[in-house]
Amino acid sequence: MFRKFYLLYGLLTLSTAAFGQYRGWSLDTINQLKNVPKSVRDNPGSYRSVYGGYHHYTGGK
Amino acid sequence: MSAGAPPLSGPPKPQAKALNCPKCGAAIVLRSFGQAETVVCGSCHSILDAKDPSLAILQQFEIKTSDIRPLIPLGTRGKLRGTDYEVIGFQRRSTKVDGITYCWHEYVLFNPYKGVRYLSEYNGHWNDISICKTLPSVDSAFLNSPGASADYLGESYKHFQTSDANTDFVLGEFPWQVRVGEHAAVTDFVHPPRVLSSEKLDKEVTWSIGEYMYGQEIWDAFKLPGTPPEPMGVYENQPSPVTTSVTRIWVAFAAFAVFLLGLMAGFNMRAKKEPVFHETYHYNRAESKGEASFVTDVFELTGHPSTVEVKTHAPVDNHWIYVNYALINQDTEQAWDFGREVSYYHGYDSDGSWSEGQQNDAVVIASVPPGHYYLRIEPEADASLPGIPYTVDVTHDVPVFGIYGIAFLALLMPVVIISFRAYTFERSRWSESDHPPMQLSSMSGGSEDDE
Repeated sequence: MFRKFYLLYGLLTLSTAAFGQYRGWSLDTINQLKNVPKSVRDNPGSYRSVYGGYHHYTGGK
Repeated sequence: MSAGAPPLSGPPKPQAKALNCPKCGAAIVLRSFGQAETVVCGSCHSILDAKDPSLAILQQFEIKTSDIRPLIPLGTRGKLRGTDYEVIGFQRRSTKVDGITYCWHEYVLFNPYKGVRYLSEYNGHWNDISICKTLPSVDSAFLNSPGASADYLGESYKHFQTSDANTDFVLGEFPWQVRVGEHAAVTDFVHPPRVLSSEKLDKEVTWSIGEYMYGQEIWDAFKLPGTPPEPMGVYENQPSPVTTSVTRIWVAFAAFAVFLLGLMAGFNMRAKKEPVFHETYHYNRAESKGEASFVTDVFELTGHPSTVEVKTHAPVDNHWIYVNYALINQDTEQAWDFGREVSYYHGYDSDGSWSEGQQNDAVVIASVPPGHYYLRIEPEADASLPGIPYTVDVTHDVPVFGIYGIAFLALLMPVVIISFRAYTFERSRWSESDHPPMQLSSMSGGSEDDE
């Protein structure tokens, strides 16, 4: 019984991996936005990244 | 035949023969129609010669405890595996191993056409036992070695235990000359769910074959009230809950892993890995006091929705640079917003040299549709860093190997769980044997075939 389940499970896992690779899945989490104003092209300062303005790494061990 | 008498339907029902105990006068019921060798008086505990018309007394014993009561009362009838049986005898037996006494119960079942068979019960574990029809072959030279085995009807049974069994208590009828206090050398060989047992009493050896039964099957067969006692621990021939062959599952896993490797190689070869953008910029703190952000030239992504990798390289040395990115689709106004840090620190302390971070960073954006794109870039850097060059590379349609890593772990996880379950179960089983797990060379669990 488990063997049948595992064969099915394995095929599903491989199919998912293949589908994910084909569709371009990634393990990185990226924030997706819609309706970014066209003016950004001419005026980059009109858009502010949600990640900007806060810090980051300050130094080593 | 008289006209008024109704005709008899079917064979006549067997009737028990009623006698009296010559010792105490209590009623003795003989249910096995002359097949019994001995019968025990339930009142005075005299073992009587059932073949003797006057029921000669063979032995009288005293019961040490009053809590010995058969779970299936004598005289109970039931259908066991398609055959009607009546419980005619009961005995309690025990063995002493390492100073600990283990007790179990045996029931004698009788059918006038099929003869006698037995049920044994130990801590809620039941076995349906019958006498072997042919003599098993066993290599007695290696009887107590871990690899000892016996063959019976084409199946190999592994040696489990050899011990002395003592008869403590008897009740009802027995097709042999039973005595309380008699010792027999019992050797068990197992091939779950079966157990092959030899019982040596004086010079006589009796081989029997037992098959594990669940308490509920017994309760259903004899229509007993209540519920059967819960099984405790793992019994010697108890079927493993892992009914699948663990070896076969590992073989299936290996096949899947090879297929996954092939999938990875195939997609890796098929991936375009197309460089669509490459530029080196220079971060200058003095200049960035104004508007630091800027946009790149437009580049085109073609084909189906796929991955986009953005790599950042900066020759930082005990500094950091942080780049805010937005990958923007010029036509649809759709954007992917992310920030990446490149930092590299190193030095010496009391533990020796150390380093953290690296001068490269890469991120993969998932499922980016084809179209015309540009990057909005806004760099920030360590306050102590006056300026630094950094390079941005964009590659379209790159393979993500992490997906295969996750798939590999997903394939591995059930195999590990099932193997662990099989291992722990077999370990519990064999820890009660003459060959505890420390001496066990191979795990016998999971050798059962699927279904």
